[in-house]
Amino acid sequence: MDAIAIEEPEVTMSWQGVVRYLHKTPRAFLPMRSFPSLELVAGRGIEGDRYFVGHETGFYSHKPEEGRQVTLFEMETLEALQRDHKIELLPEEHRRNVTVEGVPLNHLVGRRFRLGEAIVEATRLSTPCRHIEEILGKSVFDPLINRSGLNCKIIAGGTLRVGDAVRPI
Amino acid sequence: MAKAIKTVSTVVSKVEDLGNDTKRFTLVDQDDWELPPFRPGAHIDVHLGQGLVRTYSLCNDPYDDRRYVIAVKREREGRGGSNFLHDLVEVGQPISVSLPRGGIALDQEGTNVFLAGGIGVTPFISAIRHLERRGRSNYVLHWTSRGRPVLTDMIAPAIEAGRIRLYDTTAQAKPVIAAIVGEFAGSGLAACCGPAAMLKAFEDAVSAWPEERKHIEMFTPPKVIARSDVPPYELYLSASQKLATVTPDVGLLGTLDALGVEVPVSCGGGICGACRTRWTEGPPIHRDRVLSIAERQNELIVCVGDCAGQRLVLDL
Ligand code: FES
Repeated sequence: MDAIAIEEPEVTMSWQGVVRYLHKTPRAFLPMRSFPSLELVAGRGIEGDRYFVGHETGFYSHKPEEGRQVTLFEMETLEALQRDHKIELLPEEHRRNVTVEGVPLNHLVGRRFRLGEAIVEATRLSTPCRHIEEILGKSVFDPLINRSGLNCKIIAGGTLRVGDAVRPI
Repeated sequence: MAKAIKTVSTVVSKVEDLGNDTKRFTLVDQDDWELPPFRPGAHIDVHLGQGLVRTYSLCNDPYDDRRYVIAVKREREGRGGSNFLHDLVEVGQPISVSLPRGGIALDQEGTNVFLAGGIGVTPFISAIRHLERRGRSNYVLHWTSRGRPVLTDMIAPAIEAGRIRLYDTTAQAKPVIAAIVGEFAGSGLAACCGPAAMLKAFEDAVSAWPEERKHIEMFTPPKVIARSDVPPYELYLSASQKLATVTPDVGLLGTLDALGVEVPVSCGGGICGACRTRWTEGPPIHRDRVLSIAERQNELIVCVGDCAGQRLVLDL
């Protein structure tokens, strides 16, 4: 890994995506519920979601993580699972909050971009969790490696709606 | 990093004393959110604290997705689970449960013959409610009880429709299981849940049946995710000076857990690196997709790792 250091030129990314689905759940393992809009709060997360910072009312709440205030997933991955692995994974099953289309998530780590009226910063790629296979009864762990979505922190909050644009800054 | 959450948090919303030493408990999410789904006749582990874990069948319809309903008969001579639930569990109390497991693979077309003894009826109540809601009546339940049966309120229409045969063994003879299932030797599904003698009679009666057409309710243990396939080995934790034996059914991570060692676990599948741990004696078996060859010389991803020798020493 350490042999060649490639000088990466400052690229201006040109892409334009869209929000297809929005989901949240208040606690671990509970099914994700679909919503027409979500409230993104800067520095904290999605109101009512399991990763919301300060959501300590639950007795076994997920420990919130600074870099995982909102999570994104590619619509294209759901299509690829169907096409290449004959697995039907539904938008409420991947357990990320925002399903987007036309957004190159894997290239956005470390960058800021617009999510509807909010601004988020991508912290790291999500890793799949073994439990997902247990919950769904579908063998999705291996096919989801390296395309399990993106974790972001919220820089500027706002209401996010299905159909909103996702754009580079 | 947070320690992995392994259970679903629920709250007791209702406790009903049904008489005959039986109580029915309804568990819900604190915000009335949907609970993880289950199949008809599935069961959950109920964590009662201090290592007390008991498995109970869910008796509501899977469609009824905001509740887990269990019925518990007090076993006075039991190992403590039913007494704990009867004496100490009240409305409003938090209770952690496992994800639901198991369930009955119902025959869609043929007859489903259910045989229950006493409280063993619970998985069939879930199955019957599921079938009735879908307008299906391709089942029959033969239900033996000592004295007045409880839980009849959950399947009252089915009893009224004559699809359930009740046998009060204080007043009448027990049904002959071989005769009941013999009628369905050619097709359909037969399932049994009850005391040992009943299960034995059932097993004998269906011994020649193909596996997929019979179901004996046994609580299946949770699926072990990273199951070990190596012979048992000794595990020594050098920092905390703890010693244990790792057996294939418990695995390395399960053993660390049992020793009360806090290893951060995230993916549980050897790809995130959260659980990397230093080792000094082995050699370990590496099954991860995180560490380089150089790193493997002194580090191990314990969520999927094992030992190739007789003794593994970890710096924990
Ligand atoms: S928990 Fe992710 S590698 Fe072990």
